[in-house]
Formats: sequence, structure tokens, C-alpha cells
Amino acid sequence: MLLDQFISNTTKNSVSRLFFIIIGLTTFSLMTLYSISDNPFSSDSSFYRQCVFLLFSFVVFIFVKNISMKTIHDNSTLIFITTFVFCIIPFFLPTVEYTYRWIDFGFFYIQPSEYLKCATVIVIAKYLSNHQLEVKDNSIIVVPSILTLLSAFIVLNQPDLGTAVIICAPLLPMLLWAGVSNFTIFLMITPIITIIAASNIIFFTVWALIMFICFLTFQASIMTKSILYFANIFTGLLTPFLWNNLANYQKQRILTFLNPDLDPMGSAYHIIQSITAIGSGGFFGKGWGAGSQTQLKFLPVQESDFILSVIAEELGFLGILCVMILCFLLIKTLLDIAFRASDYFASLVIVGLGSILLSHIFINSAMTIGLIPVKGLPIPFISAGGSFLLSCFIMIGLVVSFSKN
Amino acid sequence: MLKIENKADIFHYRALLFILCFALFSLLSRYFYLQVIDYDRHFSKSQINSVKALTTYAPRGLILDRYGEILVDNYPTYILTVTPYELRDKEQEFVKLSSIVGIDIEELNKRYKKYYRGPFLPTTVAKNLTFEQISQIEEMRLDFPGVQYDRSDERIYSSILNDAHFLGYLKEVDRDTIPKLDKNLLYRAGELIGWQGIEKQYEKELRFSKGVDYIEVDTYGREIFRLDSNNIPAFPGNDLSLTIDANLQRYSRNILEGKKGSVLVSNVNTGEILSMVSSPSYDLSVYRGTTSEFEWNNLLKNKDKPLLNRSIAGLYPSGSTLKLITVINLIENSLVDPSDSLLCTGIYVPPGSTNEFRCWNENGHGLVDLNKAIAQSCNIYFYETVQLISLKDWTDTAKKFGFNASTKIDLPNEKNGLIPDKDFYIKNYGRWGWSERGVLLNLTLGQGDILITPVQALRFINHIASRGETAQLRLNLSKEISYYDKIIYSEKIWNHIWDGMFDVVNADQGSGWRARLNGSDVKLFGKTSTAENPHGEPHAWFIGFFDVEDTTYSIVVMIENGGGGGAVASPIAGDIVSYYINSSKSLAEN
Repeated sequence: MLLDQFISNTTKNSVSRLFFIIIGLTTFSLMTLYSISDNPFSSDSSFYRQCVFLLFSFVVFIFVKNISMKTIHDNSTLIFITTFVFCIIPFFLPTVEYTYRWIDFGFFYIQPSEYLKCATVIVIAKYLSNHQLEVKDNSIIVVPSILTLLSAFIVLNQPDLGTAVIICAPLLPMLLWAGVSNFTIFLMITPIITIIAASNIIFFTVWALIMFICFLTFQASIMTKSILYFANIFTGLLTPFLWNNLANYQKQRILTFLNPDLDPMGSAYHIIQSITAIGSGGFFGKGWGAGSQTQLKFLPVQESDFILSVIAEELGFLGILCVMILCFLLIKTLLDIAFRASDYFASLVIVGLGSILLSHIFINSAMTIGLIPVKGLPIPFISAGGSFLLSCFIMIGLVVSFSKN
Repeated sequence: MLKIENKADIFHYRALLFILCFALFSLLSRYFYLQVIDYDRHFSKSQINSVKALTTYAPRGLILDRYGEILVDNYPTYILTVTPYELRDKEQEFVKLSSIVGIDIEELNKRYKKYYRGPFLPTTVAKNLTFEQISQIEEMRLDFPGVQYDRSDERIYSSILNDAHFLGYLKEVDRDTIPKLDKNLLYRAGELIGWQGIEKQYEKELRFSKGVDYIEVDTYGREIFRLDSNNIPAFPGNDLSLTIDANLQRYSRNILEGKKGSVLVSNVNTGEILSMVSSPSYDLSVYRGTTSEFEWNNLLKNKDKPLLNRSIAGLYPSGSTLKLITVINLIENSLVDPSDSLLCTGIYVPPGSTNEFRCWNENGHGLVDLNKAIAQSCNIYFYETVQLISLKDWTDTAKKFGFNASTKIDLPNEKNGLIPDKDFYIKNYGRWGWSERGVLLNLTLGQGDILITPVQALRFINHIASRGETAQLRLNLSKEISYYDKIIYSEKIWNHIWDGMFDVVNADQGSGWRARLNGSDVKLFGKTSTAENPHGEPHAWFIGFFDVEDTTYSIVVMIENGGGGGAVASPIAGDIVSYYINSSKSLAEN
């Protein structure tokens, strides 16, 4: 019966389900942080700090949950512009650790780009819901794309490649959700694949062929189709020149990703140590607090970026399975709420926020197992870190508030 | 807000759900591959194959005197650490260790608790082990899992000069201080850091740079293989040559044996300090960590304050050396004619007052002109003439010579002293609790609230000896010469001061005649002072300068509660100056 209730799709149950999922994730987080802290109850241990952040975030969550959707909807442009300006302010302040990511408020730092993610989603959702009737018109993608790229551009220059990628992530799911035609969505994806494929001549040739067949099946004038097709091909050919304009540390990260043996003690050291830790955990894990890789500190940034590796080593595949099921239920629940929501704006925002959380989960996990380069992105509700935890709770607060309608 | 119905399509819902499932499934399958299918490979790798970065150390730089004699050297000792996680049977291992090392089990347990940082981090339990003890442990290697030893250099000092305050000492860094330190020097808890004196001032130069050895270790931290190619070598710290002349330092230190006080000798042209003694002192090696609490308390609570470097941080009234400040003000503003004489009867009664002020010579000096007033240090002359000067002029002149401010000598914890000005008096005595004429009577004798350090007196005499432009005082031989702000006065003023100071030592009734260099053609200029203070006998001062082969040297002698400057400080200064002249003569001959 409990199971029935758990998977039933009424909105009210979805919200309480959300609660159980987040409690589950934070339990994993605190257990892991307790295990890796030398002295968990001293005020500088990550465990203790995370407890404090959780309490604070929960208070903010209660506050956000009670803001009505109307307030958010009516002020969405203002919210976006304010967060956007806050992201520009660090460029005029002295750098913090050689980047322009943080604003120093004396006793704490704020990373405004954390909140720009939500603000971009909200402002795009408002635009799409206000132009619902023109949704079949291809030009509807222009404004959301410009807003997204503008935000991503600012964040990229801070420089923070990871967050820039996260800002771009909700765009396609939201356009899809809004009902933009498949052809348009396809057109938006093609350049990205083209650029990736451009690194290798064989991939590129195969991709050019696939693209050609796809273009044939879509309904559009021959003229439009051929122009778009060749535009893609040219982008692919230009990529090598763009590559040379990347910052050195970004190039280095991508290169060591492609060939980890290049630099066994640099960035790839993290991936090698992480994979060893994960792999050696086995199915049941080495036991809580008994992971040799973790406890001997072979594993770097283990309280935030590589916390999944700690779980994988100490609690094994079973632990990871539990975490992944919780993550699946989290996103699935958000999707359910979005699908059932009576309001179009609310529905779009929730899809956007869900995409942000999913891309965090995906990029972080993929990084720990060496599927993508080291990005420095945390995983929601599990990684230690105050600013990010707070923004996650704000997102859930918005979802709960919107689900009331 | 216009209500717009949600028209989400079930097709889109399924598309996004598919993406979600696909993303998480691909992650899970990779985890499954690593953890279940490829488990054996990774597990054995985690057992035997982990790269660990080990920090390596190099010796700290030596401290030398100006001729290359080693003042502070290193000698190797060993520290014993245990890694709690690796200990098989702690109690039993400690029993064996204690018999080898010769430390009580209780003491070992106490230190183990005190330095414990976590199960996987080495904890220091014993220091200053000898090579023999280490060899013994190495022979029984298998009985001591989790026990390691590390080389750790300690400082050793040149004999007799093992108590020179300015050298300073090293201290273990603790976790609370690390955030306040220079991040580039990579301190870790338990490492030694220069904590006082030269060791602190030149920490950056003296400290070694750490190296890294990459080694492959198994999960128990046992070394498997060294990856030599990636190692970063450790470099020793730079040696530091001081301006100190070790022989002169030893000589002046021995003269002060049993007395409280300070002696400073410097080269006026370059600002180099040749000798800096503060007495009483203590053996610097007490900081090596084997000192018992009892000895320690004795040092801390000793009434004679042996830990205090009197030369830079001892505050004393200056006494009549500061009469020279009054002299400058008098001549600069043409307030007296230097050849005019006043009658000293031994007693001075300020106009409108009934208080009597006495000269140190109760019978009076008779007729006194400026030169005689300096040479015989006549109080009455200055009581009368100081009435012509304003408080502001007097304190401004004193501050110009660097009083009330740091001399910027390259040592930490220098004190600034005090020249009381109008603001000070108003703050401490109220608007009406003092009178300008009254306090000037005190100030002109260098008494009252005035406090100076011996090194400030040295700067003062250097300004006089160089006629205004003198180099900043320093202890580092290779530090570039820089100058204090130039003090500009007419030659006439300097001549009068020099004449007076020459007579202090060389005239018949000069107060510093005991410093006279008999049988030498070197001219010694000087000024004595006897500084009254509430703590007992007056402090005896002598400041002076002399030329040897085109180089001007200066000397400051201060004997705390020693008595008269003429009787006590002058002969000491004379001895040191003669010693220096003779030794530089024999140096030149060799």
C-alpha cells in the first residue's frame, strides 16, 4: 500500500515524495562527510559545516516555498537582470583565487552564477509561456537562445566552464516541452555534434552522412536544407581554429581526458585515483570509514567533487545504486509535477530546474568515472559546499511553491 | 497574470523520461563495469599501487659573522613518529620503544595523545634521537609496524655566543598559526619556523625549500617503488652573513657578565652593527624542546628578565645625553651665545617658584659656558637655558633624531620608546595638571616620562657622528645601505656639540674621563648620563664615537641600575673601544 502511495501521481504525494528523496540524499551526504572528517565535530570539519549549511538552507527553503508563483512570474525579468548584474560585479572587484566567480562579503563569499542558473530558467519560461501561440514559428527559439548564450558567455569569462555548460543545459528540454518542432530542435543539436566530431576525420565523415539522411527526411524547402547542411559542414571545418583560442588549462583538461597517460600527476591524477577508488569498492564496498584510497587521502577534493568516489569505495556498487535510484526518483518526480501542473509557466520552470539538477548529477558522476574531463561541478544534495546546497534548496522551494497551483 | 493552461504533451514527457533513464543507466553501467566486472584489477591496484607524494627536507641556512665564522649551525637529530592506523599492538610497541629511546611509557602516551591528528597521519612521539637509537629500531623493523623516523635538523650555537638575543630561535608551528603565515613557504604543523630575532626576520632567506618524492606505496603505506623521474629536489636555505664581529661580540659580552645592561657598537658610515649584547641572557638551546618545565618557569619568572633583548626592547630614561637636544635648539635659534657664562651655585630656583632644583655637583660648577656645560654635564646651565625653548621645539628636535619611533633595524619586536609631547601631557595629566616650564626642566635632563631604547641612543649618536646623514642600522651584511632622513644643521651647531663631547672624555674635569684611551692617537668623543629612575640605582649611560682609518664607529653602553654614567659606563666603553682599536690594528697587520 505504501508503495502504491509512493508511486501514485497526485501532486500532493509528489511533494512529500520529494521530501523523502532529499532526506535520503542528504543522509548519504552526511554519512560520507562524517566518514572522511578527521574530527567531525570540530567547527572546521566539512561534516560540521555541512550540517550548519543544511539548517540554513532549510530555513531559506521554507521562505522560498511560501513565495507565490505570481510574484515570481511578474518579477522574472527583474530577477534575471539583478542576478545578471551580480555576475558582472566580480569583474570590477579584485580576483578571488585568480577568478571572478565570487563576491566577497567580508565574512562569506557568494557565487552569483549559482543563482543565474535559476534566473535564466525563469525568464525563458516566462517568454515561452507568453508566446505560446507562436510556438510553431521557428523564430521563437531566438530570444531564449540569446538569453542563455549571454548568461553562459558571462560565466565562461569568469572563467567557469562547468557552470556555463549547466546554464545551457535547460534550453533544449524547455523548448521541447514548449512544443517547438523536432526539426528546429535537431538544427540546434547538430552544430554541437559537428564540433565534437570535427576532432576526428572519420567521425566527421560518418556524422556528415547521418546528418545528410536526417535532412532528407525533414520537410522544408531544398534551399533551406542545403544552406543549413553546409553551414554545419563549415563549422566543423573551422573548429580546429577555434580550438586554438581556448584557455590553456581548458585545453590541458580536454587533452589529458583524451589521453590520461600524458600527465599522470596532473589533472589525470584525479581521474586515475578516483577510478581506482571506485573500482576497488566492489559490489558491497570496503565498509563505512574503511576505504583505504579515501582515508589515506589519495583521492583529491573528496568532500565535494569526488564524493561519489568515496561512496563507491566505502559502500560499493550497492551504495551507488541507491544514490542513482534516488537521483532518478528526484528527476522523475520533478517531471511528474511538471506534467501534472495546471499552469504552463510553472510547468516550464520545473522542467528547466529538473534539467539543471540532472546535468549536475550526470556531469559530476561522469567525471568521477572518467567519462568526461574534470569540471569541478558538485552533485546536488550530496557534495559539501554552502552556496551550491543553498541554490539546490531554492530550486526545490520554487518547485514546491509552483506545484500548489 | 493571465492563466495559461499547461498543454504538456505525453510524447515530450516520454522523451525527457527516456533521456533521464538513458543518462543514469549509462552512468550505472559504467559503475557496474568498474566495480563488479573489473573489480579484481582495481582492487589489487588499490592494494599495491598508489602513488604517494612524500615531502623531503633540506637544512636551514647557517648564520655567520662578518668574517665568516659560524654563529648558528645545524646538527642532525631524528624524530620518531607512529601512524596510529598501522600500529599492531600499541601498548607492546610502546614498551619496547621506551626501553630503546629511554622515555617513560607514560610520557610516550602523553605525547601520542597531544600530537594525535588522525588515524592515518604520523604522530610525533619522541625527538632528539641519536643515530644509535635509530639503528636499533631499524634492526628490529618487523617488531615496529607503524613506527617511522624522520631526519629533523636542530640548531646548534657557537660556544659563548650561544646566548646572543638577536640570533633568535625556532619554534614548532602549530595548527592555529599556520593560516597567518606566508602560504608560499608551505608550513605544516610540527615544522620549525623562525620565531624571534634574525631567525624570524630572515625566515624566507634561511628556510629551505621543500622537495617532493613520489613513491608507490601499498594501502599500509609501505614503500614499494620510487618514481625518481618526477621528484622535485629540496634545496637548503641560504646562509646569512651578519655584520656582527664575533670577537668583539664575545669581548663585550664578557665585560657585561654579571651586570644588567646593553652594549652596542656600530659602523656609522654603513649602519652595520658590530656588536649587540644584552645581559643577562640565557642559552638559546632551551628552545630545543628538552627543557623541563621547572627550568622554563625559572627563566620566565626571573626578575632580571633574561629573555628580554634590552638593546632593542628595553625602555630606559635617557638621562643627560638628551642635553644635546637642548644645545641644538639653543644655538639654532640663537638663544644664547655659546661663549656666555652662567653661574652654577649648585641650586636652581625657577622664577615664581619655591622649589629648589639641584645640580649633581652640590658645590656648583662656578662659571659655566656651553662647552663646559656639556663636558661637565652641568644641570643648572640647562635648567636656566631650557626656559628659553618651547616644548614643541624641543620634542620636535628629539623626534627628528629618531626618538619615539622605530630605528627600523632588521629585528622583530623593537620598542618605540616615548618622547612626551603636549598631547601626551594633556592626556595623562589633564589640561591643568602640568606646566610647560616645569616639564622642560625634566626633559632637558632626559628624565620624567622620557623612555628610549639603547638602539635609539645608537641612532642618535650616529646622526651626531655623521653630522646628520647616517645609514640605517642593520645586522644583515648583504642588505643594501639605506639612509635615515637627513638632519640638516649648520656646521656651527655640529662643531659645538663635537667640541663639548670631545671635552667630556678628554678635558680635565670631563664627566667621561674614565673612557680616555691612554696611549692611543684615536680621538674618542662621548657623552655620559646618569638616569634617575624609580627602580633603584640610576642607569649608567655612555654614548660615543671614534675614527679608525677613515671609518667612524659609534658605541653605546647602558648599565641598568649601574650607578653613575661617568663612573660605571665610561670605563666599560673605554675598554671596548681600546680592544676594538687593537684588534683592528692586528687585523690590518696580518
